[in-house]
Amino acid sequence: MGNKQTIFTPEQLDAYQDCTFFTRKEILRLFYRYRDLAPQLVPPDYTDKPDVTLPYQLIGSMPELKDNPFRQRIAEVFSEHGDGNMTLDDFLDMFSVLSEMAPRDLKAYYAFKIYDFNNDDYICKSDLEKTVNKLTRNELTPEEVRLVCEKVIYEADVDNDGKLSLEDFQHMIIRAPDFLSTFHIRI
Amino acid sequence: KLVGNLASMSTSERIKAIQKMPGTMKKKREISLSEYFHLLQLGHKTLKIIGANFGTSVLSYFLFLKWLLTFNIFSFIINFSFITVPQFVAAEPNNLSFTGLELFTGAGYFQKTVLYYGFYSNATISKTENGPSYNMQLAYIFTTGIYFVICFFILLFSMAKSFCRNFINPQIHSGIASKLLCIWDFNITNEKAVKLKQKNISMQIKEDLAEENREVLNFSATQRVVRIVIHLVCWVASLGTAVAACAGVYFLSINNLKHKNDLESQAAMLVLPIVASLLNTFIPFFYSWLGHLERFQTPGHQIYLLLLFLFRNIILKISIVGILCYYWLNIVAVSESQDVICSDFYKEFYHLENSIVLCFFFSPPRIIGTIVCMNLGLPEFDIGRNVLDLIYAQTLTWIGILFSPLLPGIQMISFSIVFYVKKVSLMMNCQPPRKLWRTAHMTTSFMLLLFFPSFLGVLSVIGVTIWRLKPSEECGPFRGLSSMYDAVSEWIKILENYTTSKWVVWIYRNLITSELFFFSLSVVVLIITYLYWQIAEGRKTVAKLLQKQLMNGGKEKRLLLEKLWVLQRKPKNPSAPRGQGQQVSLIVQVLLFQLHAWYDFMGFL
Repeated sequence: MGNKQTIFTPEQLDAYQDCTFFTRKEILRLFYRYRDLAPQLVPPDYTDKPDVTLPYQLIGSMPELKDNPFRQRIAEVFSEHGDGNMTLDDFLDMFSVLSEMAPRDLKAYYAFKIYDFNNDDYICKSDLEKTVNKLTRNELTPEEVRLVCEKVIYEADVDNDGKLSLEDFQHMIIRAPDFLSTFHIRI
Repeated sequence: KLVGNLASMSTSERIKAIQKMPGTMKKKREISLSEYFHLLQLGHKTLKIIGANFGTSVLSYFLFLKWLLTFNIFSFIINFSFITVPQFVAAEPNNLSFTGLELFTGAGYFQKTVLYYGFYSNATISKTENGPSYNMQLAYIFTTGIYFVICFFILLFSMAKSFCRNFINPQIHSGIASKLLCIWDFNITNEKAVKLKQKNISMQIKEDLAEENREVLNFSATQRVVRIVIHLVCWVASLGTAVAACAGVYFLSINNLKHKNDLESQAAMLVLPIVASLLNTFIPFFYSWLGHLERFQTPGHQIYLLLLFLFRNIILKISIVGILCYYWLNIVAVSESQDVICSDFYKEFYHLENSIVLCFFFSPPRIIGTIVCMNLGLPEFDIGRNVLDLIYAQTLTWIGILFSPLLPGIQMISFSIVFYVKKVSLMMNCQPPRKLWRTAHMTTSFMLLLFFPSFLGVLSVIGVTIWRLKPSEECGPFRGLSSMYDAVSEWIKILENYTTSKWVVWIYRNLITSELFFFSLSVVVLIITYLYWQIAEGRKTVAKLLQKQLMNGGKEKRLLLEKLWVLQRKPKNPSAPRGQGQQVSLIVQVLLFQLHAWYDFMGFL
């Protein structure tokens, strides 16, 4: 593969290849996707490592994310300051974890963070209720939501502390082998 | 300790550290290989659109189709390079004329081309005098043999990999609650599909909650009898149709054996493959209608009914393929003149390929049929039936590959056409599936189905052909021998005269033709399987014990934390500070021990 591109230095490209699961071609393709979101904000030359952050509104308008009920949480989890505004590094990280080459543990770790709405490293009842409402588009009555959350905690909580820790979540993943193929965004 | 270290790093460092873990190194090596296969980005965009609109389960069908296509490309390359290319060097001139009808019947002009076994020479080809020679007989039999061995190992490893990745959990009836956090399909990006999925999930949750609250219904005796009677009737009906289909195919085939060589009867010979594919296309509709009947009686147990439907289809297809094989193998025994063997046998395979292509093209009438049955709703894409069609087509290809080495090439073309036709019909006609399919289980079972009935059955048919069937005396690379395998035995006899290749003869005599070798090999394989099974059982028991220990540990932890909290709140008594301190340190030590056991358990899992 010739070094005909002038966007990144070879060291930068190597670093990106090491840190994500993408090949050179895919990294460049993702860069063009990132740039297409806001051509006036993103410079075509990243060799001097510019500090460019795209606001959440632009990220959330991507066709891969715009109808996903969890898009805001995804952007928040992968953004540097937790506010949904993403740099190119965050952008590449996000799609790298959501690609099909990421291992199960990594995906489980990030899925857990996505469903943890209050960022306290535990999925508590309120987190679960928000998740269920997003999953069902608020079609269930509050009573049904409460029952479902209780069931989930009862079935998944192994150490009986009333909330789900990362280990409980990983234990649940083992019983759902579809997780690897569903926690995946093709870009 | 690892988690502690990770927790102390910042977020980005943590990400890099996780990605540097050894488990991911293997994936990165695979990635550099995949850079060279960017040709296979064919359909990447298509797959993305399908996954976005219909979800992962329908996508798994298309991924399976793509895998079969790659597999056929590989088969074609092997057969073409080792069998067909040398044949081009020693080709005989083709003096038959080409009329358009050959594309349908496969007779006439095509008889003397490389499409058929009859055309291949039995000579040892050499380009120059005393130059390196190429023995066509051995090449033919060894290429086919090695090809099947490679297929065997490819299938075995794909199955094992798929099984490992999607560890099949026998708990079929676990409710939705335990998988709620794993259920959202991030692939779906179409707004309507997202809304539909959300509706599905809410419906499933409501059903799940309702089922819990519902009291156990006691069916009255008459209702139970009615249910059993309906089940029996459905089974009898499905087996009866399968038997009737087989009888039809059998009588048609007997009719075909008395043939004349004119145009009319050649067209009449097309009837058999067309009828076989029509039966394969329309009888499954009848089976799904039966399934609807049964569904009314047993409202739950969706997966059980689905498996039943697939099982009946498999029985139908296996029986039709069996009858066809029996008919082909008997053609040689029944027919009198040798010329018949050369021409008829191979025409059958061409008809076969046509029939496979035809049955895929029956999709539009099929869809109209489903619309009529489903009361003006858009039909769903029936993954099970479509996958069975693919496996059926691949089985027929494998059966025919011995006699028509370019069959994988035809199959390649047909699969590519099927890919695009199915995609177009999917987009235009279907809605996303309503049931939540267990994609991972299904992918593994597709592979399993491909391997067990299909591939192993083909191996037995090929085995019978090579060892028992007398090849024709006028055409084909094995003319003059009493069975195809004799080519190998004669070669070994020749090799005995050369001292340098005595080891080959030794291996042949003592390993390949000795029954003792295969017996001991089977015993060793069985022992290893038994050991692995016992290890798996042992691990299951240990996991259960550890889980119980963990639950008890959780309770203890809570009690101890409460005690700690109480102790810290007590007013400090100067007379007994040491006792309190000792108690606190003891409690902290027990807590740390619990945490340690926790991490061990999770690591074990």
